[in-house]
Amino acid sequence: MAAGTLYTYPENWRAFKALIAAQYSGAQITVHSVPPHFQFGQTNKTPEFLKKFPVGKVPAFEGADGFCVFESNAIAYYVANEDLRGNTVAAAAQVLQWVSFADSEILPPASTWVFPTLGIMQYNKQATEHAKEEVKRVLVILDAHLKTRTFLVGERVTLADIAVVCSLLWLYKQVLEPAFRQPYGNVTRWFVTCVNQPQFQSVLGDFKLCEKMAQFDAKKFAETQPKKETSKKEKTPKEMKKEEKKQEKKKEEEGPNEELDECEQVLAAEPKSKDPYAHLPKSSFIMDEFKRKYSNEDTLTVALPYFWEHFDKEGWSIWYAEYRFPKELTQTFMSCNLITGMFQRLDKLRKTAFASVILSGTNNDSIISGVWVFRGQELAFTLCEDWQIDYESYTWRKLDVDSEECKTLVKEYFLWEGDFKNLGKPFNQGKIFK
Amino acid sequence: MAVAVLTELSALENTLGLPRSNKFSALAGERPVPVLQTNDGPRLVGLATIASHLVKQARKEQLLGASSEERAAVQQWLEYRVTRIDGRPSREEADGVLRELSAYLQDRVYLAGNRLTLADILAYHGLHPLMVALPVHEKERYVNVSRWFSHVQQYPGVKQHLPAIVFLKNRLYARGP
Repeated sequence: MAAGTLYTYPENWRAFKALIAAQYSGAQITVHSVPPHFQFGQTNKTPEFLKKFPVGKVPAFEGADGFCVFESNAIAYYVANEDLRGNTVAAAAQVLQWVSFADSEILPPASTWVFPTLGIMQYNKQATEHAKEEVKRVLVILDAHLKTRTFLVGERVTLADIAVVCSLLWLYKQVLEPAFRQPYGNVTRWFVTCVNQPQFQSVLGDFKLCEKMAQFDAKKFAETQPKKETSKKEKTPKEMKKEEKKQEKKKEEEGPNEELDECEQVLAAEPKSKDPYAHLPKSSFIMDEFKRKYSNEDTLTVALPYFWEHFDKEGWSIWYAEYRFPKELTQTFMSCNLITGMFQRLDKLRKTAFASVILSGTNNDSIISGVWVFRGQELAFTLCEDWQIDYESYTWRKLDVDSEECKTLVKEYFLWEGDFKNLGKPFNQGKIFK
Repeated sequence: MAVAVLTELSALENTLGLPRSNKFSALAGERPVPVLQTNDGPRLVGLATIASHLVKQARKEQLLGASSEERAAVQQWLEYRVTRIDGRPSREEADGVLRELSAYLQDRVYLAGNRLTLADILAYHGLHPLMVALPVHEKERYVNVSRWFSHVQQYPGVKQHLPAIVFLKNRLYARGP
């Protein structure tokens, strides 16, 4: 009987196939999915790992006897038993048929449809609609097959059921709401029976079928989008700023997102007179003008002098923010995503705010801090529910505009240069909210 | 010929892996009722009662249902077996049973819960004479019963002495209900 170690990231449905098969066969599998044994993205890139598994992907299985195998279906096959593999050549061929069917027919449309609802892929209406039709086509095939059958091959659970169930997991969890799945009752009967077998249950837990079709999760998508940070590190702040400017432009060219989130809808529906700052007297400080100077001219010799010359401390306020949980910051690129995610969620605030937020330090020893300029004397976040997601993760301190501290912070943060004595960690990279 | 219900209880003992140590007898009558005299307790009367007792004797309580709802459902189908399936049902009554079961099994693999229980085993034994006589197009008409029956008869240990019944997985007739 097979015994060994399965490397994977946590909750990987591909790894589930091997784990469920092992429940049936009794194979002893140790799962390494979290540090210190396994860190996805690191462990599987080490030379040691690549020597055993040249593709560098997970799940990957290493037997107690040193036998190594990658690709989830192969691992499931290895840890299975004769019953699961198919007892005759014909049955084994049919098992292989459905395992391949899961990969080639179910997965592509399932991914296209489900990933945007999880916020891990951009939503494309045409692609999603096409994927829905493809999923229907697959379900029709399965439904006809299962009308006269309890399981896909023979009268017992095989790798065919395990592979096809696992490839349908996300569909049944996220989008196959009762009305949609109603015509495919035979598929649902079979699916529910499978996921409720003790062997499946011990791997999957209690599985709940989708009640309402999930839609594109734009917020999460924005949060999880990695920006290509690594190449920028070597560049000077000035160059980075330029890059950012380009990105801004690109974003504008792309036009508005198809789906406005709730907050945006509210703001869009509101007449102009309901400007949240309407009650404030007109200010002499023109934010747009400052941003133009900051973006296009030298910061030290033009933008900073312009800022202090025109800043209106009655109509605007300057704040210092520091991330409250620096211990949770590990990889610097992830921290950067945290910052850009926050900026994206605050999109509607751009007209009336400006910020320079920087990441200091290195991997596992970093801190996020920033200097923010807001209209009025209060923090803007309470004006809209969507803006409140991040601000509670920061401590906010209003700066005395006339103080030396404020002048220094503004200078250092706007320039991305200086001692940053308040932090005690060297500048790593910065982001401008404008 | 031995009384069918006693043969069934012996088969159940085999299915459960019990040694043949129980002595069954039958109360005579229009429909024979099985009786089991236990060593240390009262006389047990009736198929459902004795079958449940055998399951406990074999320490296979999961066959009586995993949750309280499932246990209730198992008992419900044991009662159904005795009241609706047994006792030479007429043609119309048999059709009624198959119709009911086929509707019930449309979104279920097993009669109670998601695993084989005693309800499936006894219903299988009870329906066997009926299914043997069923023509192909009728098997197709009650497709959910056929699928369930085909699955249960191939479940290890369930079939025992009963002959396997053939079910076609591909449908011959255009459209059943």
